[in-house]
Order: sequence, then C-alpha cells, then structure tokens
Amino acid sequence: MATVTLNQAQKTYPNGFKAIHGIDLKIEHGEFTVLVGPSGCGKSTLLRMIAGLEGISDGEIIIDDKVVNTVAPADRDIAMVFQNYALYPHMNNYGNMAYGLKNRGYSKAEIDAKVREAARILQLEDHLERKPRQLSGGQRQRVAMGRAIVRQPKVFLFDEPLSNLDAKLRVDMRLEIKNLQQRLGITSVYVTHDQVEAMTLADRLIVMNGGVAEQIGTPIDIYEKPASQFVAGFIGSPAMNFLKGKVSDDKKHVTVGDGVMLDLDHDVEAGRDVTVGIRPEHLELLKDGEGRINAGVRMVESLGAETLAYLDFGANADNVTLRLQGTHTFEKGEKLSLSVPASKIHLFDIESGQRI
Amino acid sequence: MKRVQFEHSAVPYLFIAPQILIISIFFLWPAVQALYQSFLLEDAFGMSSQFVWFRNFEDVLTSSSWTRSAIFTVVFSVLVSVLSIAISLFLAVRADEVIRGAKSYKTLLMWGYAIAPPVAGLLGIMMFNPLMGDLYKAFNSFGFEFNHIENANDAAFIVILIAVWKQVSVNFIFFLSGLQGIPKSVQEAATLDCKSPERRFWTITFPLLAPTTFFLLVINLTYAFFETFGIIDVSTKGAPGGSTATLVYKVYVDGFLGADMGGSAAQSVLLMIMVSVLTVFQFRFIERKVHY
Amino acid sequence: MYQSKWRIFTNHTILVLGSLFMILPVWIAFASSTHTREYIFQNGLQFLPGGEFFTNYGAILFDAEATKGRVTALEMLFNSMVLGLGFAIGKVIISMMAAYAIVYFRFKLAVPLFWIIFSTLLLPLEVRIVPSYEVVANLGLLNTYTGLILPLIASATGTFFFRQFYRSVPDELLEAARLDGAGPIRFFIDILVPLSVTMIAAIFIIMFVVGWNQYLWPLLMTTDDQLYTIVIGIKQVYNSLYEGGQIPQFPKAFALTIMASVPPVLVVVIFQRMFVKGLVETEK
Repeated sequence: MATVTLNQAQKTYPNGFKAIHGIDLKIEHGEFTVLVGPSGCGKSTLLRMIAGLEGISDGEIIIDDKVVNTVAPADRDIAMVFQNYALYPHMNNYGNMAYGLKNRGYSKAEIDAKVREAARILQLEDHLERKPRQLSGGQRQRVAMGRAIVRQPKVFLFDEPLSNLDAKLRVDMRLEIKNLQQRLGITSVYVTHDQVEAMTLADRLIVMNGGVAEQIGTPIDIYEKPASQFVAGFIGSPAMNFLKGKVSDDKKHVTVGDGVMLDLDHDVEAGRDVTVGIRPEHLELLKDGEGRINAGVRMVESLGAETLAYLDFGANADNVTLRLQGTHTFEKGEKLSLSVPASKIHLFDIESGQRI
Repeated sequence: MKRVQFEHSAVPYLFIAPQILIISIFFLWPAVQALYQSFLLEDAFGMSSQFVWFRNFEDVLTSSSWTRSAIFTVVFSVLVSVLSIAISLFLAVRADEVIRGAKSYKTLLMWGYAIAPPVAGLLGIMMFNPLMGDLYKAFNSFGFEFNHIENANDAAFIVILIAVWKQVSVNFIFFLSGLQGIPKSVQEAATLDCKSPERRFWTITFPLLAPTTFFLLVINLTYAFFETFGIIDVSTKGAPGGSTATLVYKVYVDGFLGADMGGSAAQSVLLMIMVSVLTVFQFRFIERKVHY
Repeated sequence: MYQSKWRIFTNHTILVLGSLFMILPVWIAFASSTHTREYIFQNGLQFLPGGEFFTNYGAILFDAEATKGRVTALEMLFNSMVLGLGFAIGKVIISMMAAYAIVYFRFKLAVPLFWIIFSTLLLPLEVRIVPSYEVVANLGLLNTYTGLILPLIASATGTFFFRQFYRSVPDELLEAARLDGAGPIRFFIDILVPLSVTMIAAIFIIMFVVGWNQYLWPLLMTTDDQLYTIVIGIKQVYNSLYEGGQIPQFPKAFALTIMASVPPVLVVVIFQRMFVKGLVETEK
C-alpha cells in the first residue's frame, strides 16, 4: 500500500514537444485511479513516467514520501500490465510470473509459494506449464496480471490492458480487475481510452486532454458536473448534445435551434451566447403539446433495452440524440414533445469551453 | 530506434568490441592500405616504391583492357540480373498458383542456393567440354559452330548462362515469399475484377512485388559484380583474351598473378566507389521500407 | 481460387521444366561420376548411373592419389566443415553482440561505431584481396584456420540481420524485464537470446552454407594442401585433369563435385523453412 504524488510533473521530449504540461495529483492508499482521454492526450506517457520507463523533465513524482524521479523502474516497487501483455514468449507461464522474483533474489520455495498463490487467485493453476502462445487472450491477460501481483508491489500500473480483448471478455476482465484490486487493496493507476471502463473501474477519474488534466474527480462528479465541454463530450455514451444558445433577457431561459426555449436556473448574464449541453438521457418525452420542445424524428435505432432517436432541432442545430428506456416505435418525421429539467442543463463558455 | 534504451557506460562497448576489433584488423587496415597502395608505383620485384599521386588511376582508366572489362562487367551484370529475375519471377508465379506438389516444386527450385559458384562454374563448363560436353555437341550439331574457347561471345554466353542458373534459386525464394505475402483476399478480388491471368499479373501482382523486385535487382547486381568470381575463375578464366573478365576478376589477375600492386589497388579503389554507390542506394531503400 | 484446366496444365509443365533446368546439370554430373573414365571418355556425359559408384567415391574419399594432391576428399570435407561451422558460429556470436549494443544502448560512440560497421558492407572482400592477404601474411596467419575464418567474419551482414530482428522485438518486453529487475546483461541472456533462437538457427544455416562455399579467400590463403577445403580441392583436380597424357579422370572429378555440394544442399533442404525465413527476413 502506498500513495503516489505528482507535483507539477512535466514531460518535454528532446524535439521540443511538450507531452505533459504539469500535473498535480495525489493518489491515496488503495485508491483506483483511472487516466482517461483520447489517443495522444499524454495518459500513457504519464503512466510510464510513474513507472520510470519515461524520464521526468520537471516537477516531482513521489511514491510513499520518497521522490523517485531518478530511481530505476525495478527499484520503484511497482508492477505494470501492458496493453500487448509483453509476456516473455519463450518462458512458460510459471517462468513469466517467477522471473521478477528470481531477479530479486527470492528463494525457490518462496517463489513457488507466491506464484502458486497468484495462480490460484487468477485461476491459472492448470496453465502454469504452458507457454503464453498456447493461451487465449483472456488467459494471457491473467498471466500478465499474475506477473504483477506475485511481487505484491506498492503500486499497480495498467496500460490499456483490455483493449486487445473482444467485447464480452473485456466486460468479464473489467469486473475481475476491479474485484482483484479491491481484494488486494493495492494502489492502482489505470490508463484507458474507453470511457465505460473508466467510469466503472475508477474511484477517481482523471480526464486528460493535450497533456493537461482537464478534470479530476469521482466518476459521478465528472458525469454530473463536467468542468468543460471537452469532458462533457468525452464522458457519457451516447455523447452529450451541444447546441448554440442565447440566454434570454430575464435569465430564466435559453434559446436554442429554431427558437426553442429551455428553462434555466443558472447564474448567468442576460443575452450571453453560450453552448448548451444536454445529455441524451435527460431529455424527457411528454404527451403531445405538453413539452416546450417540439422536434421531428430523423432516424431511430432500437437496441432493445433502450431506444435512440435522432431529432431535428431546426436548421441551426446538429442532430440531437434522445435516449429512452425500453422500446418505442416512432415514424420518421413524427413530431415529439420533449422537455429538459433546468437542473440537467449544462452551459459552457463559447470561447473557452469552460463550465458556467 | 527503440523507445527505451539502456544507458550504461561499459556494457555496450564490451558487446561491440569483438566486432570492431575484427573489422579494424581485417577490414579497415587492408582498406586503408589499398587506398595508400593505389598512390604507389612499385618496381617489378616489390623492392622499392614511389608515391605517384593519381598516375595509377590514370593508367587504369586509360587502359583499353580496363575499359573493356568495365563494359563487359556492366553488360554481364545487367543481363545476368534481368534474366535470372525474369526466369525466377515466372517460375515463382506458377509455383504460387499450383496446389498439388507445391512443396516439392519449391524444394526442387530452391536447393540451388547451396551450390558454390565455382561448383556451378565447373558443372557448366563441363557441359561445354569439347571432349564430352553434351551441350557443346548439341549446339554444334545444330550448325551453330559454337566455340567458346576462341569466340568471345560464345564464352560470354556460357558465363552468363552459369551465373543465371546459379542465381535463379535465390530470386525464386524471395519472389515466392513475396507472392505468398500478398493477401489472398486481394488476389480473389482481382479474380472477380479481371478474367485474364496475364493481365491480373501485370496490373495487380507485379506492382505489389515491385519492392521485392527492386531489392533483388540490387542484390543481383552485387552478385554479378562479386560472387561470380568463382564461376569465371573455373570456367573461362577470363578467356579468350580477357573478354570475359569482370572488374573483380581483373583485380585478382593483375594484383595476384600479375603482381601489379599499384594498378590492382587503384582498380580496387575504383570498385569500392562503385559498390559504395550501389550499397548506399540499397541501404537507403531498405531503411525507408522499414518505416512502413 | 478458381483456375482453368489449361492454366493448371501449363503451370505444371513450366514448373517441371524449371526443375529440370536446375537439376539436370547436377544429375548428369552424378550419373557420370559412376562410370569408368574410359567409358566417359568414349561415350561422353551420361544420363544414367553406372556401376562404379563405390569404387570412384571410395577412391577419392580415402586415397589422396585420386584427388591429385596430398589430401583425401575426407580431409577436405573436414576442412570445409571447420570453415563452415567456424564461420557460422563466429559470425552469429559476434554479430548478435554487436547488434545488441547498437539497438539497445545509448552510448557516446554509437554513431561512429555504427558507421564503421556499416562501411564493411561497402567493401566486399573481393575488392581488397591484395592488402587483406598482406595483413594476414604479416600476422603470420597464412595456412591457419584462424587466418581462414576471422577475415571473413569482418563483414557485418550478420550484424544487420540481428539489428533488424531486435528492432522487431516489442519494446514492452524490455520494459517488462526492467520492471522485473533485469539489467542489460541479464536481459540479453534471459530474454533476448532465447527469443532469437529461430533467428539464430536461420542465420546459422545461411552462414554455414556461405562459409562452406567460400572460394576466393581460401584460394589465396591456403597454399598448403592440408588446409584445402573441398571447393578449392575440386578446382585443383579439374586443373590437373589433362596432365600426364592419361585419359582424363572425369568421373572422379565429378564425384568430388557432388561431394562438395551434398552437405550444403542437404542443410538447405532439411532446414528449408528456417533457411527461407532467415533469408527473407533480410529483405524486411
């Protein structure tokens, strides 16, 4: 168990490219932290900096009160699970898990006990003698995790560990990772570009963009109060609808699309141009004529458990997505009557994208 | 390059030392000496020598025998490369198509790689031996008046034939693996779009094989320049009258048998320049390919 | 995939003709090596084997007189084996190590050393034979195995094979090994070498064949018959074919040719897959 602290951690590559712009973060004992963001946002770089595989240009990385900026990766007492697993193909699975212990001078008996314990936890007991290539993707993933847990490190690092698995396996392994982490109580940092993984696994979520931490918070915080238009668009699926809007003179309404008026209870100056954000699941379907919004259906996707409808908010707006529970049958062009509670409306500055 | 590397003071030097040591003694030293000797004129007994600047080079470049050898080398190399590439590409395309016996054909066509060039040369020249060679007799019974001992063209024909025979298997291996690297779906899509196999080959397969072909062209030119030494030395020995001596063979003849050290060294240096151009060309090409 | 009957027929015809083109010279040499010299002299080259197989091959293997020199073919085969194996082993070890330094380390002289190694590709042995000979002579290495093998190893082709291969090894393996506490030497021995086994085998096979088939260098180096490789040996035999006014000993010369070819051909055919893989890797 350990804490990981970043003080203004920065990374600049020799060619002058600034990958990480200075990140402050404190990860508590046993906390599961997820770094999420689009590709190229610097999340993997940050993880590799914590691992020591990537140098740090400025600032500090502290593991358990000790600055580890110049400590070799092997001496940081961390373990890492790689995206392509990085298993040693010529060693059997036992050898893969034992290798790190061997190099640290553990006795044969100790190694054996630790490997067998890890194999038991991960249900790999029957596969220890096999080589990695004889295993399925999910089993390889387990071996990679086994290699990490045998050492009982202070910190677990995961670099998109599930992205090579198929969809169903990914869900299973996600649960397994969460379960394992809670059971072992090891501080973990997890990198992913998949926001579902991020939301489900994280105790705390760090949304990154362009080398900057856009927002740090619990998944629910971030979902409910996204700090910027970028975060709002990135977290949540289907993505949040964004519409251009203008705050009315009495500050009680905001006008979007072809004169659709929405209720507002924000403290915002009158007449300001804003970006209005509405999550697809927060649009409520009402009986004819009861809602403030009337919009035509452009297209419908039925997923069984839920229905997605793409609505026409007038010439000035993109498609607006509506997400409803259960199955609904809509005609193409059918007019729907909708409303949005004022509390579910997000406003963002048009220029900076910051939350208002 | 690797994203992560070790930073260690002594270890890399330790690992690279054996190679550098051998290169320094057996490569750099002789190469520098060749360069130095190319500026020296030695007397016939190797007793004394004087520094003559570029005179050896002048002598070499203005001598008719060198020019003739250079022309022969270029013609020979181009013919050998083009012919062996064409033949092996033709065979590889067919070998890639057959289903029954594919493995046997592959083995039958590739083992030639293991034959040493001088062995190939001997086999070839024996076939043309006036005393008993079948090909020699066959050619003459058709009224060709084939005589490689006196006729330069006939001698060149033999050397080229042997050199092509020796090189077909290497090219075949590369072409076949190149063909097998073309995704089956691409070939199937082409079958739907184009009925004629010949047209399909020239519009789809050949363009996809272009990198391999180019690579092989460089490899074959290098082969024709250097590795054919063994073939020539046991078949024609440059005869008649030096007409089938490549530049490399001439370096050997002048330097070792003729003891013209300065002239031979100057020829070596000229060859080095030619090869350098060829190799840099090839290396740049390979490097570029690696990035894709 | 669909193929017309005609196409299938021509495919086989062409491949059979191609195979014959490759095999016939060697087959004729073999068939002719199993007749008496008088028979060959009178009837020319033969397509069918005769009855002198054991006599002719036995003679050249064990009787130095038959090979026109002071060594038997058996001794020549041994020399070729030493050259082939020594060349292959030396080359593999040295180039694996050098490539490791180049690919996996950041060090001061990396760039100049790389270019020195690269420069050996520019100048094949053939263009610097005279000075190379002098250097080896000065070192007193003429007519020694060392003098025969070491200069041939100087060319860096193997280093580039391995460099290419190492670069294809995923970076994550090194990272994982570093997290597992492996230093540079341990990583090389525990991970990289076992990982390269197929590549090592492939390069070994190619280099063995290349070494076995060396011609020019052994020709210059070995003035002593005792060090003749079989490839050099056959040249001597053919050179002395017409000496002494006797009927030329064609069958035994052919037998020696066949014997020089059998070991490398067998190696290539038996390890075909590995060999092809190794060869084709060089293109990538």
